[in-house]
Amino acid sequence: MLSIRNLSVGFGGGSPAVIEASLAVSSGRRLLICGAAGSGKTTLLSAAAGIIPRLVRPEVFSGNIDFDDRPVSSIPTDEWFGVVSIVTQNVEDQLWDLSVEDLIAFPLENRSVEKHQIRERIKALLSSLELNDLPGRGVLTLSGGERRMVAIAAALAAAPRLLVLDEPTIGLDPAARQRLVRILQKLHAEIPALLISEQDPASVSEVVDEIALLNSGTLSPAAPKAALFDQEAVWINAGVLPPRRRRAIRQSTLQLTTLLSVSGLKTRLTRTDGRAVLENINFDIHSGEIIGLIGRNGAGKTTLFQSILGLVKIASGSLVIGGQDAAGWTPARRARSIAYLPQNMRRVLFNMTLLQEVTFAITASTSIAKDPTMIDRAKGFLAKYGLAGFEETNPFALSSRQQALLGLACADAAGSPIAILDEPLLARDLHGRRMLDLFLDDAASAGRAVMLISHDLELVAEAASRVLVLDQGYIVFDGPTDEAWQSKSYQMLQWPKPSFQLSMEASHALS
Amino acid sequence: MRFHDVNFFLKLAAAFLVMLVAWMVPGWQFGVPLAIASVVFLAAIKVPGLRAYLKGAVLLVVLVIASWLVNLALQGQSLTIASTIATGMAARLVTTTAAFFFVMETSSPGSILAAASAARLPPIVTLVLSLTFGIIPMLREDFERIADAQRARGMEIDDVPFVTRLRFALARGVPLLVQAIRMAHAISISLSIYGFDMKRKRTTWRNVGVLVEPKLNLKDDKA
Repeated sequence: MLSIRNLSVGFGGGSPAVIEASLAVSSGRRLLICGAAGSGKTTLLSAAAGIIPRLVRPEVFSGNIDFDDRPVSSIPTDEWFGVVSIVTQNVEDQLWDLSVEDLIAFPLENRSVEKHQIRERIKALLSSLELNDLPGRGVLTLSGGERRMVAIAAALAAAPRLLVLDEPTIGLDPAARQRLVRILQKLHAEIPALLISEQDPASVSEVVDEIALLNSGTLSPAAPKAALFDQEAVWINAGVLPPRRRRAIRQSTLQLTTLLSVSGLKTRLTRTDGRAVLENINFDIHSGEIIGLIGRNGAGKTTLFQSILGLVKIASGSLVIGGQDAAGWTPARRARSIAYLPQNMRRVLFNMTLLQEVTFAITASTSIAKDPTMIDRAKGFLAKYGLAGFEETNPFALSSRQQALLGLACADAAGSPIAILDEPLLARDLHGRRMLDLFLDDAASAGRAVMLISHDLELVAEAASRVLVLDQGYIVFDGPTDEAWQSKSYQMLQWPKPSFQLSMEASHALS
Repeated sequence: MRFHDVNFFLKLAAAFLVMLVAWMVPGWQFGVPLAIASVVFLAAIKVPGLRAYLKGAVLLVVLVIASWLVNLALQGQSLTIASTIATGMAARLVTTTAAFFFVMETSSPGSILAAASAARLPPIVTLVLSLTFGIIPMLREDFERIADAQRARGMEIDDVPFVTRLRFALARGVPLLVQAIRMAHAISISLSIYGFDMKRKRTTWRNVGVLVEPKLNLKDDKA
């Protein structure tokens, strides 16, 4: 079906994103491309899906891409996107303010399909992807998991022969991930061939047959998944955390100083049933502490940090930051004590260069810094996180991974007593994890605290000494990490335990 | 009646009619009541984003009245006559913007696509209409998002004098422009991926008449 031979793609500056890559996807095949962030997965999948060079023209492009033995370049665009569909990594890029039905119908309406056929197809897809509760909803009002499922439904609407999914599990909670895998298994007959990319091989292992590893643009030959999973060295060489590795436990540097105290917090914002999004929230954060915050999509995690930062109004409760009542503080004043890094750093970048972003983090002013000491200091933070040489680059020109590193540099530079890291994208590859560990280690040793909001249970298990479980607007568990996975509150989530925990329990059972 | 479900072209025609009336009526004696009625109508039907619109409208009124007063004073008009003309102009602009704000806020891109496709309009017209009316609210949300990002990064934009706040708001234009370009690029790629073709007229899944079907009834087989 799809054959890629000796493909090289580059966007200028440095080495190409993909170097001499070859792969083949035949009917019935399910191939996973696994690699670290920035290894070239998105570029390779964009080329496989025809976006490169048809819609995005790179500076370097060589090699051959054929579909059914025809050069892809000879297939008209309209015909091509009828046989191949892609769901991109930033699924929001494929959505705009349409309703669920509009988005699913869009490829069919564009191809002048009759109304009754479109309606039947929408109904069939809503049913098979278990989206029957969503008609009438705007796609931008859906949770991350729901958005991705709707985008997959839209990709399947025109019955493509090859479905390409670029990191489909990013941002999904474990239950949403399991649902995605279950539905992809169920739709086996409807998806003749599947090409997926992921950083975390375990998340979609049940729906793929073979895995090829991409390391700095170089693709290994595909191998059966069973042959790869236990070969730790193969994953490490590819810069990816091995799927079956031992847990690395972080030394706790907990001190007794309370940096943040939240008590009785209730939001004005309500759910569709009228209940407050957050109710009776109580917890403290101490210096040197790394806390994991977990909960389903829609549990109220985003609202919690927005409430702490003063970006959403609270109905009752108190907030004490650094021993002072912060009730009357503006969001900006709170933010000088609490650095916030969202999963998508583009949401909080607004300066024109990286250097300005870091000097802004230090000074909280958009004035261009002229003090050489200040500039050197800012450059030092960029260099610390591998961004030396990018000082005058526009932050929007960086990759998602580089933007995440910039976020760490800014949070470090700001020196805020508390940092909130919302689903850091860096956690699944070795280099990114080293950078994240560097940030966490420096923060803890300096007596700062970090709240890690993540669906990556292995990351939480390794990095956090304490876990908060948020469910339906309440904190239902607050305790040591090792006790969290055994708690009734965690079991109520119906999530799998972190892989270390499962293997530890299995070895206990055997002994 | 849910104004959101009314056919986009009917609302657009109504807005043009209101605008025409606003510019045809003589003097501020008619213009001001019409402007007030337009704003009261927006409040009565609870149009989303009304508070933000009113802030903009107040700024518009102040700027228009000030500029006309200066202009007419320089031409030697008395303050009384200049005031009535300036007030009349401001009222016309408020009525016009209120009418189109109503259309924009009560029309989703999906319902515009449906109305345009059902009318068998050329794809380029369909696209321009849905993007124009659909993206403005998204950009407005982005403007707010950038403000929240500035707050969340420690930039004081609330507890500052009005002029500083206005300057910060204008400075948000640069990241907003970057975001708009990115959004336009993403949408153009999406259109190709989803088979949009300028040479082929679109169909729609919705039933379209005076009202546009807002939601697919999963149990209803009527098309």
